[in-house]
Amino acid sequence: MLIDIKDIYKIYNEGLESEVRALNGVNLSIDNGEFVAIIGASGSGKSTLMNILGCLDIATYGDYILNGVDVAEHSDRQLAHTRNKEIGFIFQGYNLIPALTAYENVELPLIYQGLSPRQREAQVMDALARVDMEDRYGHRPAEMSGGQQQRVAIARAIATRPPIIMADEPTGALDSKTGKQVLDILHALNDEGSTIILITHDTNIAATATRIVRISDGLIVQDGTREELGL
Amino acid sequence: MNIMQAIKMSAKSIFSNKARSALTMLGIIIGLASVIILVSYAQGQNKAMNDYYASMGDNKIEVRASVWNSSVNVSEELYNYCLQMDDLVVGVTPNGQIWDELTIKFGAKTLAQNRGNWGGGGGAIIMGGSSNDDGGGGGAPQEETYPTISLANDKFGMVNNYQVASGRELSYLEVEKYAQVCVLGAKTAEDLFGFANPIDQTITINGLPFRVVGVYESKAGGSVNTAEPNTQEYYMFEEMLGLDRLIVLPHTMTRLFMENRPIEEFVVKAKSSEAVTEMITLLNGFLTNIIGDPNSGMSNGHFSVYSPNSWQEDENAAAEMQQRFLGGIAAISLLVGGIGIMNIMLVTVTERTREIGIRKAIGAERRSIIAQFLIEAAMICGIGGIFGIIAGYIGTLIVGKLSFDIILIPSASITLGAAAISVVLGIIFGLYPAIKASGLQPVVALRAD
Repeated sequence: MLIDIKDIYKIYNEGLESEVRALNGVNLSIDNGEFVAIIGASGSGKSTLMNILGCLDIATYGDYILNGVDVAEHSDRQLAHTRNKEIGFIFQGYNLIPALTAYENVELPLIYQGLSPRQREAQVMDALARVDMEDRYGHRPAEMSGGQQQRVAIARAIATRPPIIMADEPTGALDSKTGKQVLDILHALNDEGSTIILITHDTNIAATATRIVRISDGLIVQDGTREELGL
Repeated sequence: MNIMQAIKMSAKSIFSNKARSALTMLGIIIGLASVIILVSYAQGQNKAMNDYYASMGDNKIEVRASVWNSSVNVSEELYNYCLQMDDLVVGVTPNGQIWDELTIKFGAKTLAQNRGNWGGGGGAIIMGGSSNDDGGGGGAPQEETYPTISLANDKFGMVNNYQVASGRELSYLEVEKYAQVCVLGAKTAEDLFGFANPIDQTITINGLPFRVVGVYESKAGGSVNTAEPNTQEYYMFEEMLGLDRLIVLPHTMTRLFMENRPIEEFVVKAKSSEAVTEMITLLNGFLTNIIGDPNSGMSNGHFSVYSPNSWQEDENAAAEMQQRFLGGIAAISLLVGGIGIMNIMLVTVTERTREIGIRKAIGAERRSIIAQFLIEAAMICGIGGIFGIIAGYIGTLIVGKLSFDIILIPSASITLGAAAISVVLGIIFGLYPAIKASGLQPVVALRAD
């Protein structure tokens, strides 16, 4: 099992009157090579779940076993390595560094990996070519359209060739045509063996996944194929 | 990530955020330069004042002693006493001044006191063929050229901080053997001889010949006052120029000009300001011994011992207060510069926190982020510090030239101290977002706004 979470809780302001339970005991297992879509209304806890899966946040309670290792036992340094090598994260808001060019943004995770400039160049151009952005390598985020920025962000996520790619509403800020391009890239990556976890509130996009997980009020309420969920 | 990568990344960040980098540097440059200039200004003023006192002759003690009968030769007693005190005293000279109206001539040039024109002495005119002076009488301002005539010994220059420019001082033998020789101040030499060499020329004073054996260096540093009239510098120069109007004669010439009355004024030069204090006490005791206590009614005369050091000390205390005041202003400007740096850094914390969130999300370790921000802040502050020091030096040179007409160089301790403070401030505020945000969960840092 690649990802295995057991009884995950994420509670804000625990014990206070303003206590919010974003996740209320979630169990989920994901296998290598799956294409999983997590759907749910806004506020259902799907983004919180994704952040915990991507090691960008930690659960209040519960276990997260990634590749057979309990993430809770990771040091800050090991977590950084996990984020760098195991997971490629794609954000809804792209989260490119505005002062850096497309090339430099894609290069960043490789720098943190400690690769030589030559190795980096090969991987950066490879990743940019993957998303059809190799001719825009010198552009800064402000000089690109939303779709182009998201493609650069995907290039950054895949530059280290991680086994898992997580995308939080990757098409949320895009029109349907560029959204489809982005989705096609994710499917192509899945075909090559990457595990894809995708968050969306759009059932049409979710319907392209092999497995769909529906979250509501911090709990998984449905988990199955498109047909099983009746989409 | 290795250190070279961190440096490259920092440099990239500095150049990609030019406005932020430039504003931070500006804060450091302005704060640092103003501290250097202000403190140097205060030090320059102090130095100018001390130089002035030094040129007047520092550590001098002025002794006046007159006796009512000639049973005591004060001059000789004082001279011998000071020779014994050679661990405190550098030299002693009589300093008799002739107040009578004298006529000083060389060739066709005449220097004479012109009491009528100025109604009170001190005024003088140049008469003679080659002078372009209008000869007085009209209301036109006169060039004040009449010199002070001092009756002294071979120690006069040393005691009063005159350097010999050409020739030499009076000699001991010339003083003892009544030789009719003289040493001239720079302005008097110029007034009488122009650009000709005065050494071994003979001038006349009231018709008596005196051979010039030496000329002192100018204390004013020239004979033309280039300062703006009615400014402090103008009057300072005039006063220094007055010191260059001088003729020094052997004190034994009293028999020619003062009907052989004994000289009553002496100058003792002590080795240090501490020695001045000690010598004043000793001289008071010594003079009480040979003349008697002036308050006892049994004395043989009266005397006074006084040092210009005491008002130099007052002035120094005032200058020190001013220096502290300017130091306070400088500290405030450093603080303002520091707040400027802090402002820029804090304004960008949100932006930087997001950036740190992104970097963490894609796998940056905490130490990589801190290293990058530390190097970035150090580079900005270092470059700002260098420019600040350069600006401070240039500013100080300009201020020194304009205010004191000297080459004013900031002290190294002030420069380094101020640079250290501003660089440390810059680094602390530059590191602040990194330290704060690099410990957050990436998702929290990404949410910053």
